[in-house]
Amino acid sequence: MKTVLLIAADHIRALLHHRLLVGVMLISVAITAIFSVSLTKIGSVTVRATEAQRKARNADSNAPITAEERQKQETIIQGMQTGFQAFFYETASFGGSLVALFIFSSAVASEIRLGTIRVTLSKPVSRLQYLAGKFLGGIAVMAAYAIVASLALVIFAQANELTMSPTMKFAPLLMFSRQLMLGSLAMLLSLFVHPFVASILAFFAGNGFYGTSNPLYYVLPSYSSFNVFGQMLKGTLLSGRNVLFLELYAADFVVLMLVLAWWRFRTKELV
Amino acid sequence: MDAIRTENLAKSYRSGWTGSKGAPALHGLNLEVKVGEVFGFLGPNGAGKTTSIHLILNLMSPSSGRAELFGRPATDAKVHRRVGYLPESVNLHTYYRGRGLLEFYAALGGMPRARRAGRIDELLRLVKLEDAGDKPVAKYSKGMLQRLGFAQALLHDPDLLILDEPTSNLDPVGRKEFRDILVELKRLGKTIFISSHVLSEVESVCDRVAILQKGELKRVGSLQELSAPKSTRLTLQSLPAALIEAVVAASAEVTFQRTQVVIKCPGESSSREVQQILHEGNVAVAKIETETESLEEIFFSTIQPPPLS
Repeated sequence: MKTVLLIAADHIRALLHHRLLVGVMLISVAITAIFSVSLTKIGSVTVRATEAQRKARNADSNAPITAEERQKQETIIQGMQTGFQAFFYETASFGGSLVALFIFSSAVASEIRLGTIRVTLSKPVSRLQYLAGKFLGGIAVMAAYAIVASLALVIFAQANELTMSPTMKFAPLLMFSRQLMLGSLAMLLSLFVHPFVASILAFFAGNGFYGTSNPLYYVLPSYSSFNVFGQMLKGTLLSGRNVLFLELYAADFVVLMLVLAWWRFRTKELV
Repeated sequence: MDAIRTENLAKSYRSGWTGSKGAPALHGLNLEVKVGEVFGFLGPNGAGKTTSIHLILNLMSPSSGRAELFGRPATDAKVHRRVGYLPESVNLHTYYRGRGLLEFYAALGGMPRARRAGRIDELLRLVKLEDAGDKPVAKYSKGMLQRLGFAQALLHDPDLLILDEPTSNLDPVGRKEFRDILVELKRLGKTIFISSHVLSEVESVCDRVAILQKGELKRVGSLQELSAPKSTRLTLQSLPAALIEAVVAASAEVTFQRTQVVIKCPGESSSREVQQILHEGNVAVAKIETETESLEEIFFSTIQPPPLS
């Protein structure tokens, strides 16, 4: 286990020194912040415009707001709040997916390409320990990303006095699970093809891109159920039971991908 | 027990869409490297030296055959605790500083934390990097990387060192320092497997050598075993005039010096014939010196194709 942790720590260190990765992470955070602030502003303007319309319709602007009007206004505000949160989540999730694809597809493949794996595996490190360490390092970075994204969402919601949607409490966990699924598939594919190709294949392999009528729907990995953005827009409320099943599905998927990756990696030429 | 043992080790590189076409890189290599010996592994480019090393270290899977390190299969990672490896092109993690990288490898090698700092300082001094230990590896020159690579190979005091072209990036001073370290390691009883193009380097330290060509092991043995006697020099106090003609007739070259006579015989038969003449003439031979082939001559006579008839 100590060896696995050493490889994981080394992988984290490598990732933190990777300019492109840090760049993608910063851009992801920046885009999230810029769009969220802009949308909030647009939201405020819309609410003010609705209020102005109401006043214009009523000659007596001091007339109290009716119950029907209040309900209508609350529905608009609630819809917009849900939209902001979902958008915030989706942007962070998309950025995280890119980061996950990069981290996991290059974890082993780049070390083979650079030749650094040869010295590492000349030490008493088995290929299983190496692969496990690389995956664990990736998990740690993605967990940190999910925590930062969650904190940012809470701060964003607090700053804008938004009411947190109940579905949002599961969002970080589902985002994290989706990214690990993507990552494990990308890692497996990167042992067969170039990491960039592996990332593209992993990203588009999700059945979210196909309808349920397509037979591939039942074969390809399902990322769409982990998409809180879609769930919130549809008004679906995720129960704890739903989330548990999704997590079990994700765990199964990741373990299967890792077993296949190990099967491939144990005889892979490392030169 | 052998430090390295290979049995019919073969490797073909797959090519084509199905991977069915194979370019053979190594044909049934049978090699035994004894514990405590310094073994030179020679061959021209593309002979299969690095492929053999990769197979021995389990960085590649053989097409057939097997490799063992200290009696255990090469696939057993635990046996690597006894092995230090310096690859041909030293690619090290550039996001560390020199000392930090050695710390990482020491931890991977299972070295106790308390011993690490002292051992790292010792090795940085040995490879003359004591002033560069805190510099980022990304700023190291090729020669410095080679030295750092050598330090990581020695870090856990391995019983077997596998060195693939260890002096390729070193200047003459660095090569001399490296050779001195090898001599010291040999004195300490370490097994050293060294693949090199620098024949003089191998000749000065190796107990045995193997010569590989186009994936086939051509020759293996000690320098004495491999080299054919080139010429024999017989030193005498004097040579009676009556024998000179007979000696010259045996293809020998006679040189009269101030206090002695030197007879140079070009081959073994000439030497035997001259010694017979001297014996029959009751001439005492003061000294017999046999000049053998150098490693370079052995190497070229092995890899060069036979002349066309």
